[in-house]
Amino acid sequence: MSKLLNRSMKAFVLYAGIVFACSIPVYYAIVDLIWQHELKEHNHIVSETIKQNLQALSLSDTALTESVLLWNKLRPENQLQLATALQPDSTYNLYRKNKYIPSKGYDRFQGLVTYFLLNNQPYRLTLETNMEETHETIVAIAVVTFTFFLILLVGFIFINRKISEKLWRPFYQSLRQIQTFDLHKPNDIRFAPTDIEEFTLLNHQLDKLITGNIAIYKQQKEFTQNASHELQTPLSIVKFKLDLLYQSKTISDEQSELIDQAHQALAKVTRINKNLLLLARIENSQFPETAIIDLPDLIADQLLQLEDFLQEKSLQVVQQLTPGVKITGNQLLVEILLTNLLINAIRHSAAHQTITVKLTPHSLEISNPGATALQESILFRRFGTFSSNASGTGLGLAIVHQICSVYGWQECYHFENDLHIFSIRWA
Amino acid sequence: MKVLIIEDELQLAQSIISYLSGQSYSCEHAGNYDHALDKIHLHEYDCILLDLMLPGGDGLQLLEALKKRNQHEGVIIISAKDSMDDKIKGLQTGADDYLSKPFHLPELAARIYSVIRRRKFQNNNIIQQGTLQIDLLAKTVHVGDVPVLLTKKEFDLLVYFLGNKNRVISKNALAEHLSGDMAGMLDSHSFVYAHIKNLKRKLTEAGAGNYLKTIYATGYKWEI
Repeated sequence: MSKLLNRSMKAFVLYAGIVFACSIPVYYAIVDLIWQHELKEHNHIVSETIKQNLQALSLSDTALTESVLLWNKLRPENQLQLATALQPDSTYNLYRKNKYIPSKGYDRFQGLVTYFLLNNQPYRLTLETNMEETHETIVAIAVVTFTFFLILLVGFIFINRKISEKLWRPFYQSLRQIQTFDLHKPNDIRFAPTDIEEFTLLNHQLDKLITGNIAIYKQQKEFTQNASHELQTPLSIVKFKLDLLYQSKTISDEQSELIDQAHQALAKVTRINKNLLLLARIENSQFPETAIIDLPDLIADQLLQLEDFLQEKSLQVVQQLTPGVKITGNQLLVEILLTNLLINAIRHSAAHQTITVKLTPHSLEISNPGATALQESILFRRFGTFSSNASGTGLGLAIVHQICSVYGWQECYHFENDLHIFSIRWA
Repeated sequence: MKVLIIEDELQLAQSIISYLSGQSYSCEHAGNYDHALDKIHLHEYDCILLDLMLPGGDGLQLLEALKKRNQHEGVIIISAKDSMDDKIKGLQTGADDYLSKPFHLPELAARIYSVIRRRKFQNNNIIQQGTLQIDLLAKTVHVGDVPVLLTKKEFDLLVYFLGNKNRVISKNALAEHLSGDMAGMLDSHSFVYAHIKNLKRKLTEAGAGNYLKTIYATGYKWEI
């Protein structure tokens, strides 16, 4: 992961590097061209000077021959020789060894061959001037370019850091605010004002989003409380009236049975209501407190509470518990999860069967004997296996699913060797 | 024994009054915050049933006002709010018990009975009924000099019945009392029958009178 501005800087640096690299041969070519041009001009001036000075001397033929001989001895690099005919000027550029200072190795020369008449004789003058060698020039240019590139790079990094600190400050401030934000404890979020349009817009939208979410969250929270209150009161009234009806002196066995049945249906409605509210509250993340829970202890505790129901059906419970297994979660939710799974197993076991509770460091498995496999796709859905005449609410496994999804655990059902196996994996 | 019922829902309050009046309780009712505050300041009660959501104010504020007066009335919160937070808050503010709606009236009566017992008879927490002697603190039962060994659940049932003397209690209510929410999740409540049978047998074997009667097909009654 790299920061936004660093990423753009990488591109800039790369681009600048390419431009600088390309500039090296261009510089070289231009410098070389100027050199050659200047030296051509220099050679031309020198040749004209020699030419005109020699012509101005008006020497006799013998004196001229002697002078030319002397010239050629003194300046062997600038040869003056008799030519057969006058020819147009020509230039050349070559590398060769200086025979007078051989230690210098090869040198580059810019040469001019020019023809002129002296005492009506065509003469050829060769002028050579030493010029900068290619490899020296290009190295010098490369070094200079690279130096400037380094200066530019340091500047880039420095300016980038300065800009990024200043430019992105409001962004990082907003980021910090969002990072510390917790919907369960919505403290007021205040975004610092900035003079950058995009950040102002971003902060404004974030503010809108967060305020909206807080409002919805509060609304839902209130809804669960209100719904609970609104439904609980009429349910209480019915329950109380039935309790009172039960006290009537004249009640018959048959009426008592009717009241009992009404009570049972009422208990079921009450539980469905409670479970729906519980689901809503889990969805609204209203169980933020977590603790480290010792599972073998909790399982033993739950089984003790279910003792009556186990005895009633003469069910055996085989416990294969790895001691000391702990998980982190909300105590109440984990209890509900366990209760729902255990009750599920008890409810769907025939009398005298065996329920197995197996706890490993990474998973919990509760199994009970059964005849046919259940449909896993609807099992964990709300009212997925709901039947109106059973005592279940059709929400128990949906609650298990919801609790698992809160903590990122994996709930699973499979049917194996005539056993219904429900398992929870948390690692 | 005076009980104040602070509950805005008239139907509920009337049902509670109707149920409790059969015992030795005299009941008063307050339907809103101000009315309740007046009553608290004017009279003394043995037990106060407090609904948390009241017209005109929060029940918890009433509870705080009560606790400042440092009197010995017991307070049971009866509320539709059943989240752990609310319960903890209520009990920390000074309530003796917390019952979330909907509950059974016999459950309420049993809790009132326990709260009053705890508050009033701190040193001598013994109930005498005929030859039957129950120590609520030590959780022991004697018939004359003969100790009766009861399981925790049997003792629990006995106290429940004592709080609901001469009232018919359904097996449903007993099951819910014994196993809370779990009762409704499973069809059968015959385990209640097993516990009652054992309790009855132990008491009769020890020579106590036959107080526990089976009424109709689904109910029981502690009759004196």
